[in-house]
Formats: sequence, C-alpha cells, structure tokens
Amino acid sequence: MTSQKSAFWQAFIVTIIIFGIGVFFGVVLENWRTNQISDLYQQSELELLDIKLQSEIYTLGEFDCDQAVQENIKFADKIFQEAKILDKYEGASRLTTNLRIQHKKYDLLRTNLLLNSIKIKEKCTNDYQEVVYFYQYNEPTFETKAKQNVFSKILSELKEQKGYEILLIPIAGDNDISAVNLLTDEYEIEQLPTIMINREHKITNILTVDQLSTYLQ
Amino acid sequence: MVDILPLVYLSYMFISIYMLTLFLIIYFRNKHRFFTNPQLTKHYSVSFITPAYNEQDTIKETIEHVFAIDYDNIEELIIINDNSSDNTKQIVESLLSKYPKLRIINNDENLGKAGGLNKAWPLTKSELVAVVDADSFPKEDSLKKMVGFFDNPKVGAVTCPVLVRNKNTFWAKLQHIEYIAISFGRKLLEYVDAIYVTPGPLALYRKSALIDIKGFDENNMTEDIEATWHLAYNNWDRKMSLDTGVSSQVPTKLKPWFIQRRRWNIGGLQCITKYWHAIGKKGMLGTFIIPFFILNMFLGLVGLSIFFYLIGTRLISNYLSVKYSIIANTPFITSEQFIITPSILNYLGVILFAAGLIYLLLILSILGERIKTKENILNLPFYLIFYLILYPFIMINAIWNFYRKKYIWR
Repeated sequence: MTSQKSAFWQAFIVTIIIFGIGVFFGVVLENWRTNQISDLYQQSELELLDIKLQSEIYTLGEFDCDQAVQENIKFADKIFQEAKILDKYEGASRLTTNLRIQHKKYDLLRTNLLLNSIKIKEKCTNDYQEVVYFYQYNEPTFETKAKQNVFSKILSELKEQKGYEILLIPIAGDNDISAVNLLTDEYEIEQLPTIMINREHKITNILTVDQLSTYLQ
Repeated sequence: MVDILPLVYLSYMFISIYMLTLFLIIYFRNKHRFFTNPQLTKHYSVSFITPAYNEQDTIKETIEHVFAIDYDNIEELIIINDNSSDNTKQIVESLLSKYPKLRIINNDENLGKAGGLNKAWPLTKSELVAVVDADSFPKEDSLKKMVGFFDNPKVGAVTCPVLVRNKNTFWAKLQHIEYIAISFGRKLLEYVDAIYVTPGPLALYRKSALIDIKGFDENNMTEDIEATWHLAYNNWDRKMSLDTGVSSQVPTKLKPWFIQRRRWNIGGLQCITKYWHAIGKKGMLGTFIIPFFILNMFLGLVGLSIFFYLIGTRLISNYLSVKYSIIANTPFITSEQFIITPSILNYLGVILFAAGLIYLLLILSILGERIKTKENILNLPFYLIFYLILYPFIMINAIWNFYRKKYIWR
C-alpha cells in the first residue's frame, strides 16, 4: 500500500512538469505577440520620425501642406489599425504584462503625432479635421466600458464616412504618461472618455454619427 | 476580481491535471490485476437485507435476483417493509412460500433507510451482511467475485460497480456514463485505500465490522457514505470487485435526479461535519477522503461564483452597450467583435477538455463499453460539458438545505 501511495507524489511531479510546459508555452505565445507588436511599433516609430523630419525639411523651403497632411493622416490610420491588434493581444494576455508597456509606447507615439499635426495645422490652411479620442485604459467601470465600446463604433463609422478628411487619434488618458497628462490638463479634459474635435469641442455624451459630424468644420 | 481570474483558472487546471495524472498512474501500475478477485476459499454465510418503502414496482424482481445469485451459502433475505402505503408488503408476502429463506419485517412507522437497516442487521445469523436496495438487481456471480476479499481479516466492506438498468432515456444514458466513470475511479481508489463509499445498491459488510461501527447512522442522508467513512475511521479496509456488478434504476428526469443528488450532497456535508476532527489523521480518511470532499465542494462553489460573476457582468455590459448603441444609432455588434484572439487559457482549456474526453473514452473502452456508437458521439461531449456543470448548482442547493437542516429524502 505504501508503494501505491507514492502515486500521489509522482502525480504531483508529473503535473508540475505538464503544467510548467503549459505555462512556458503560454509565456512563449504572449512574448511572440509582444514581439510582433514591438516590431510594428519600431516600424511606426521610424515612420513618424521620417514624417517629422520631412516637415522640418519643408520649413527650409516651401512647405508642402498637402503632402504633410496626407502623410500624417495615413500614418494615423496605420497606427489606428495597429492599435486594434494591440487591443486584441492585450485582451488575450494572461500571464505577462509586457504589452502594457507597448501600449504606453503607442500612446506616446500618438501624442507625438498629435503634436506634429498641431504644428502642421499652424502652418497650413488645409481643412482636415483633428479628432482625438481620450479613453480610459485602467479598470473602466461597466458604464465606461459600454460607453467606450459605442464611442469606438461611432468613431470608426465617422472615419469610414470621411476618410482622409479626418485625422483620428485615440489616446489612453490615464496611462500614467506625463506628456499625455499635460495634454489633458492643457485641453481641460475632465472625464474619460472624451472626444475632442479640433481642440475646440469636447464631447462626453453619446451622440449619433450625424450629430458628431455637426462639430466638424 | 478580474486579475485573480487567470490564477483561479490555472488552479483549476492544475488540480484537474493532477487528478487525471494520479488516476492514470494508479491504473497503469495495477492494470494487470484490475479485474482479478481473490480466490473463493471459504464460503462465508451471507444474509441479505433490503429496506423497502413503496417499492411495489421492483421488489419482486429484486427478490428473484437475490435468490438467483450463484452462491451456496445465502442464509436469508430480510425485507424491511418501512410502512409502505402501496402493495410492497403483499408482494413480498406472496413470495414467502416460494422462497423459504425470505423474511419480512413490517415497520409500524417509517424509520427511514438507515433505521430499517439497523433493525434488520442485528437479527442476521451470518458472517457477512449484504445490503441491497429494493430497486437493484445483483448479478449472478456477484457473491463469488466479492466474498473472497473477506479472507483478509482487515477488510470490512466490499463493493462492486453500479450499472444503470433503465438506459432508455437521454438522461439515464448520461448517468450510465457517469456510473461507469465512478466505478472505474472507485476501483483505482481501492489501491490507495481511499474508497469513500460502498453504495446502497449492493454492499457487502463483515458483520463484526458493522458491530464495530454500531451500524448505520440514522441521522445521515447517505448512510452508505457514512458507514464507509466510519469503517475507514476504525481502520477497516474497503475493497471493490470490478468484475461483477449490480444494476439499479436511476431517475430518468431532471427533477428526481436533482433531488437524489442533493440528498447525496447533504449526506456528504453531514459526513464532513461528523468527521471534521479526523482531518490529517486516521490514514486516508483524514489525509485524502475528507480533504478531497472539501476541495470538491470548494472548487464547485468558487466555480459557480465565477460563473455567476461572468454571466452577471456580461449581462450588465451587454445591456449598457445595447442601451448606448440605441442612443448612438449604431449596430449592437460588429463583425470585428466576432474575431476572437484566443489566450493561452483558452488553448489549455481545449487541451484539458480533450484529455478529459480521452480519459473517458479510455475508461469506457477498458470497461468494455461500445464507444463508436452514434449515441456516445453525442452523449460523451454533452456529459463532459453540460452534465458535470450541473453539479455545483446541486451543491449550492444542498448547502442551503443543510444550513436550514432541511433533510429531504424525496
């Protein structure tokens, strides 16, 4: 009987091994996803740097507003798509927290893009619309989550309707990034989520896409 | 709550893998003697006792099956008619002339199953006492396969697989799968001295062991579990013969099934309360059986809480989302929301489910069940996904009734 009872210890050791392999593969999977996002981020970071340098070069001569605006909006659309992948991977992340850092990096990148857009707007008269969506990232309540879910849908619809007329930049407003905090203080963003249009209108209530369009110039 | 959920899921997975591994290790160590029984060297005298309350539909067949058992030293069969209001008494009395070893005790008041058993077993004249439920039918070879275990003087009780007799409804077929899995598990537990029940349909007790534990606990809803724990407490071994069986009627509808399982759970809770002091002591009773019962209950309750938490939060989220979608005049759901990125827990869950299914198939195959039937292809996944999920609901109901001391038999 004593030798039979050793089955309890043997099973424990085998379980630790099987479980360890499972967790190991889990960490590998999540790290692989993090690396994918990291690669996308690095590419995007390079592109933003390129766009910013282009703007600087233009200031030396005649500034090509159309070109700069197009580049900016294209880039914003690209990182908007990347943000969707990041969101999905973050939603499926259970064992590691590396993607939170990637999220922060993307928030910084988007803030940088917004600043670049502000600069361009100062120099150009192009009538593209700047839509910044500040959302809550950390522990949103059910109410906030549902609201953000609907905000995302109406902003996607708006973007589909208006295409390159809109520069859409979603930024987490509570991700403990000083630059973003300065920005939310500067534009007096008091609650999350808030949609800020052209740095003038701040929308915190649920609206239809048509109602939202009325705030566009 | 959200942050601890992955840890809770991982804990469940760990425990599931552990139990699966433990059972497989015990099986592969002992598979060469899985179906073997000790040689029948001594023909111990056996008295059968059958408590019966309103069992007119099955009692005749039970009596016939007992007397059809191929064993030459059956002393008697005592039917305890527990103040039945139907024709149980008349049916038994009509068979007295046909079976000279048949006896009947008529209770003037309903004593309950344990009360009836306690009235009968001290009257028996044999070395072994076999308890048979009034709706159960032992196989002809049951005693020949079971009695040999008593050559070991430490053995206090012997059990055998309970098989479903009325496999004619979907619900009964699911119970058939369950009973097979339980029998397999119980045999495995025998090798580590952890059999925790010798079920009522057919259990063979050494009379001196019954004297030692002072019979059956009349306050317990599951006198068979209590008696087995009491035997373990008093250091009696419990054995199982997998090579024979007893068929029994099972509830064919959800409600009676639920009530039966609730009774089992309440009985389990009574046993935990009664033997709480034995945790960590008294061999496998305190180190495995009681902790296993408690863990089982704990996991069921935590699982159910998580289930309700997830359902509740999902309902609230969906309600708010729909409400805001209506205001915003946007679709409630978009095609993007259907694309799910699986987490590692999803992958592990699928692997674990597959392992559970393979384990179940292994059991069925070892116990000679036909697996590749259309029925089983549907029933097995249903059993694993839906049938087992009902257990925590029964448990919570049982705890509530236990707390209110509402011990309902039927």
